[in-house]
Parts: sequence; C-alpha cells; structure tokens
Amino acid sequence: MLMPAIVWFIIFLYKPMYGLQIAFKDYSIFRGVADSPWTGFEHFETLFSNDQFIRAFWNTIKISALNLLFGFPAPIILALMFNEVINATYKKTAQTIVYLPHFISSVIIAGIVITAFSPSVGIVNTVLGWLGIDPIYFLTKPEWFRPIFVGTGIWQEAGFGSIVFLAAIAGVNPSLYESAVVDGASRWQMMWRITIPSILPTIIIMLIIRIGNVMEVSFELIILLYQPATYETADVVNTFVYRQGLQSGRYDFAAAAGLFNAVVAFVLVMVANTLSRRYSRTSLW
Amino acid sequence: MRKLLLSSAIAAGMVAATPTVAQDHLKIVEGDPLELTVQMNHARYPVYEESWPVEQQAREWTNVHLIDVTVGANMRTDENTGKTEALNLMLASGKIPDIVGSSRIKDFVNQYGPEGAFLPLNDLIDEHAPNLKKFFEEKPEIAAAISAADGKMYYIPYLPDGKYGRAYWIRTDWLDALGLDMPETVEDYEKVLRAFKTQDPNGNGEADEVPYFARQWPELIRLVTLWDGRSSGSDTSHDFMVVDGKIEHPYAGEGYREGIKNLARWYEEGLVDAEIFTRGSSARDFLLSENLGGSTHDWFASTSGYNRLSSDIEGFEFKAMAPPASVSGKRIEEHRRIPIKPDGWAIGGTNKHPVETIKYFDFWFTEEGRRLANFGVEGMHYDMKDGKAIFKQEFLDQGPVNRSLYQVGSQLQGRGYYQDYDYEIQWSNEFALEGIKLYDEGDYLIDQFLGVAFNADEQKIYDRHWGSVRDYMLERQQAWVLGNGDVEAEWDDYQSQLEDLGLSKVIDVMNSAYKRQYGG
Repeated sequence: MLMPAIVWFIIFLYKPMYGLQIAFKDYSIFRGVADSPWTGFEHFETLFSNDQFIRAFWNTIKISALNLLFGFPAPIILALMFNEVINATYKKTAQTIVYLPHFISSVIIAGIVITAFSPSVGIVNTVLGWLGIDPIYFLTKPEWFRPIFVGTGIWQEAGFGSIVFLAAIAGVNPSLYESAVVDGASRWQMMWRITIPSILPTIIIMLIIRIGNVMEVSFELIILLYQPATYETADVVNTFVYRQGLQSGRYDFAAAAGLFNAVVAFVLVMVANTLSRRYSRTSLW
Repeated sequence: MRKLLLSSAIAAGMVAATPTVAQDHLKIVEGDPLELTVQMNHARYPVYEESWPVEQQAREWTNVHLIDVTVGANMRTDENTGKTEALNLMLASGKIPDIVGSSRIKDFVNQYGPEGAFLPLNDLIDEHAPNLKKFFEEKPEIAAAISAADGKMYYIPYLPDGKYGRAYWIRTDWLDALGLDMPETVEDYEKVLRAFKTQDPNGNGEADEVPYFARQWPELIRLVTLWDGRSSGSDTSHDFMVVDGKIEHPYAGEGYREGIKNLARWYEEGLVDAEIFTRGSSARDFLLSENLGGSTHDWFASTSGYNRLSSDIEGFEFKAMAPPASVSGKRIEEHRRIPIKPDGWAIGGTNKHPVETIKYFDFWFTEEGRRLANFGVEGMHYDMKDGKAIFKQEFLDQGPVNRSLYQVGSQLQGRGYYQDYDYEIQWSNEFALEGIKLYDEGDYLIDQFLGVAFNADEQKIYDRHWGSVRDYMLERQQAWVLGNGDVEAEWDDYQSQLEDLGLSKVIDVMNSAYKRQYGG
C-alpha cells in the first residue's frame, strides 16, 4: 500500500534533486546538467549582494508573518463558529459559500480584487465615497499591498481551511459535552474547556506545516496584483526569482534562490517542531 | 460561423487557384520531397500548420515539406516570456528540429548557436543563397545587428517594412465641440487635455472624461519626449539608446527627470487616467466605446479602426495628431517600426540538410516567396493587377486582415521574410492613411538602437546587474508619477543608487559590444 507513495516521492521529489546541482554551475540548457561547468558559490554571492533580493526576503517573511497572525486563526474561529450553528440548512449553506472562493483560480481572484479596489468603479472606493473619503488607488500604494494581499488570502482560503478543524471537532468525545451539560457548563465554557483543548494537537500540527510553507507565499497572486510601484512591499523571493531568473532564462541563478528558500523553510520547520515537542508534547516527528 | 465562412472561402479559392504557373526555377530538390521538421511558436500563432494554403503552395514550388514538431505551444498573450519558455523547453527536451522559428529568437540563438545548438549561416548564405546574400550586402547594418558575439549569423530575421508604428491620437470632434485647435506644442496639449477634463466634451454633465489614457502604461512614460526626455531607444519599452555613437539609458537623463516631474503634475491634476497602471489592454476599447477617452498614443492601423464607433457615438472622430513640440521646440515621434525584429528562424545544429534548408530560407526572399509570405496564395487571397498583388475583396471583408493572413500561413513572425508594407496599406482605413501622411510630411521619426550581442563575460555582467537596475528604475518611475515620491527631491539619491546597482557597468558592456558589432 505504501508503494504508490514511495514511487511518487522518488519520481517527483528525489529524482529532481539531481538537478539542484545547477545552483552551483554555469548552466546551459543545451549542454545539460552534467556537462555545464562548476562555478561554486557564484550564484549565491550574486544573490546576497543584491539589495532587492534581501528586500524580497524580508517581504516574504513579513507577508508570511501577517498571514500566520491573521490567516492561521481565521479557519479555526470559523470552524468553532460553524460548530455552534444549530440550524442545519443554514450551516450547510454558509459552509458551501465560504468554501467556494477556494475553487476560483488566482487569475479570476486578481481580476476581482483589481476591480473591487479600482479608484473609479470599485466597490471599496464607492463605499469610501459615501463616507466622504476621496478615492484611493489602492493597488499602487505600497502600504496597502500587504493588507489587501493577506485579506484576499483569508477570504479565499479560510473556509476551506476550516474543514480540517471541523473534522477534528467532530472527533471530540460527545460524553465530555454530556457531562459538562450535567455540571451546568455554558456553551462558551464548553468551547474553551473542551473543544479547543481537544483540537489543540490538530492546530499545532497545522501550524508546523504552515511554518514550513512560510517561504511559499502564493506568488502567482502577487504577480497578478503587483506593480513596479508596489515592489517595495510586494516583491517576494519567488517573484524576484521569476523576474530576474526565469524570465531571462537564468535557471542556475533561480535554482540557487530556490535552494536557499528550501533551506530556510527546513530550518523553520525544525525549530517549530522542536519547540512544539518541548512545550506541548505534540510534534510532526 | 466565422470558421465556416473561412473554410468555404478557402474551398472556393482552391478552385480558382488551380491554374497557377509552374515555377520550376523555385524547386530545391528533385524527385521525392524533402521533409524538414520545424518548431514554430510565435506571438501570432503557436504552431506550424501543415494545412496552411501558404505551406501547400511552398511545398508545390520548392518540393520541401515542413513537418510540425512544435513543443510548448500555448496561446499565452504574454509573448515575451511564453515564447522563450517554449524555446527553452525544446532545447531541454534534447531534440532540436531542422528549423526553429520563434518570436524573440535572437538572444536565444546567439547564446546557444556558438555552443553548437544552431548552425552559423554566413558560409551557407555566401555559397547557396543568392537572394539572402544580395539582401545583406545591400543592408550591412542589418547583418551587423543580428550577428552574435562571434561575428556569425545564426538566424534569418523577420524584417518589418514601413516605418510607422504608434502615433498620437485625439478626439477631434471634442476639439471642435470645445472650439479648440489641434495642439501644436506641449503647452497646447496640456491645455487641451485640461479642457477635456473640465469642460465636459462628451456632454453628459459629469466630469468623467479621461483626457490621456493608454493600453500599455509605458505609453504614458513615452510622453517625457515632450520635455526632451526619452523613454526607450528601440521599439521595446525601457530600452537603451544611442547618443552620438555611445549607449546611454534614457531613464538616467535630465530630460527624463523634467518629463517625469511634469507627468506627475498631469497625473495629480487628473489629465492622465487615474488607473493607467492597472487598466490594462482593454483600456482603449473601454474608454473609447464608453465615450470617455480623449487622447492616446497607439498603433496607426488598429487605433484608426475605432472610427467605426461613429455609428454609435454621434460625431465620433479619432484622428492622428502630429507630435506636439517639446519645451525646446523639437517634434519627435519616439516609436517606430523597427527595421529588424529579434524574430525569425534558424537551422538546428543536427540538421542533415543544411544546404537545402538555406536554399529554402532563400526561397522566401525570392519575388514569389516574398509575395507568398506577405499576401498568401495567388488566386485564393489576392490577384495580380498591373504587377501588384491586390487582396481579393472577400478576403479583406473577413475581419482584421493580418489575423486572416496568419491563419492561412502568411505574415508569420517565426519565418524569416521581408515584409511588404503594401500589404498593410491595402487594408488601412482612411484615418490611418491620413495620419501616416501627416507623419511623413513632418518627418518626426528618429533613429533606433538595434541591439547588441554580448560575449559570455559581458552577458554575465549584464545579467548580474541589469535586472536590479531596471526594477529600481521602474519602481521609482511609477512612484514619482503616482505622487508617492518626488523626482526633484530624490534625483541625486536616485542617480547614486543607479550607480550602486551597477548601471555604469551595464553601460560599459553595452558599449564594448556595440563597438565590436557596429564599429566606430
């Protein structure tokens, strides 16, 4: 039963690692991976001597931190709220509605965001207009990029992300609630004292996984939304690599940046896992 | 429905086309036809269709059959990256077809040609391709421009004909409605744009007019030429330029600073579309058909077509205007059709029939071949009248003629051929022709930078610095125009930052490559 998974890992994860060596080579697609000459750490030096890369690195961290701070609790809160809804029809309808954005492609999402925040016809500026505020050209203001991006991410993924927590809640032993009712606990107390502690292991595992993905902000959405005017806050490592590496065919350089990304993510996961094992005795491994 | 019409038109054409004259002198191989594989993915069409009438005609004349083996075909509109990706994919797959045609092929073949992926063409042309040889002898600057750093040619370019590309356009009926004259200077132009904004030329009682708009935001930056700045030296946005035989970058010059300062002012006053950076390619369509847009800078042929809106919007008239005189009195049109594109085709390094292939390339530079590449098939798409190819009326009526042409295999950017501007004149409308005449009389065009080919060391320096310099330039540019920064206050800082990022190193390698390639 394990075979398909092992085969998948070998073909799609281990075999491509062979190609990682181009990060240390002057790679020519024509000559191929094996025949391209070695250059040592040249690509890494280029990378770290580039201020825009450093900026992109910190932007990645900042956007991810915001995502973690606001985006991580959102599905948990949503799941807890769904759990308290009594009317089944209402609950199902609401769940379907919040799941839907997850299935919309980033291109469409970007189109919706651009239109919603447009200074002339966008709904946001229309509402601001009613309040007597002048239209703001949100998508060209560096200070607005992160809130818009993180907010869009929450809107798109919070509903779908809540499924795993709902499943965890469904697994809580009902006798705990029954005895709490007998003891006269309020619903609020039951949530704090029973539901949340019971799903805490799930929350921590999800958090560790999430930390591992810190460097992987959804860059296709950034590419669709950013402008040179907002590079200052919007440019992340992946978009930087795309612009300066892949667009001009510098695969070796892009591979170096990707490798660096992976190393950072690996360190973060290790740290999160160790901390979690030490303090909560829950861990991925 | 359209498809049906097209195929029935082709079928009808077939019947009429049969009695073509035998063209034995064009035959490249005798006996069995020679089959050559081809990768062709360019901005206009993602594959090479063997059923194209033009290919069928070429087969009949040359006895060479192109067999499509294109990888990475996609319909992406982002032509620059999409097509390069297809080329990279082809190379990574390890099989290089006999012929490789693409948009943006120049840098690609100039990088991988010397490594052996493509054949150098100089000797082949000298010995086997009289028409190509004659062409390059007459235009040595083109031969210089396409050569790689080792001095050899690796591809035959698509060579656009005709000079004019983009022009200034303005709603002349709005000028009339407000009693204004055609603007002659930058001051006039500003007044006109302000009047568009404040005096309600569309008459709906709201100040919803968008005086200056553009489909591509670099066309806003183009306006710095009105303050003696420059936005690009070639038909590619943000490109380097040649000043007195030396390469410079337009975004580091004084005129640019002055221009950006004024454009920021225009933007703040609402003379420029507030959404210019995000409205995108539908801007022209939307703003003109909603009767909101006043003036733009865009292509002759496609923009003049919007005059058809006069059937919906009373009095609608969108005409080309001469470039307004800059603050120092110069009238220039920075954009023009470049005489040579980085598009075309090359011979794969593993091709077993290089001589036949170069003869085949040469075929497209013969009189018959060139006509085939430009106008399609005689009797099917055009007829000969007084020695000139004249499109059939039913072909002209099928919709945009350039699109109809590349659907039958003509006007392909992935084919090395010399365009004949006559093809375009035949379907340009009166507004375009009138505009072109205006620009012809004024002689507003300026010379262009045709690009350089780097050697490996130069390429390394360019790669290392240019991406960052360019990103920084565009970032500051948009910030200044949008008022998120002040060009006057930040200029010195900007210059020293450009220096830190390595602009002068990039300029140095540009200059050394330029000198090697063009002499002087």
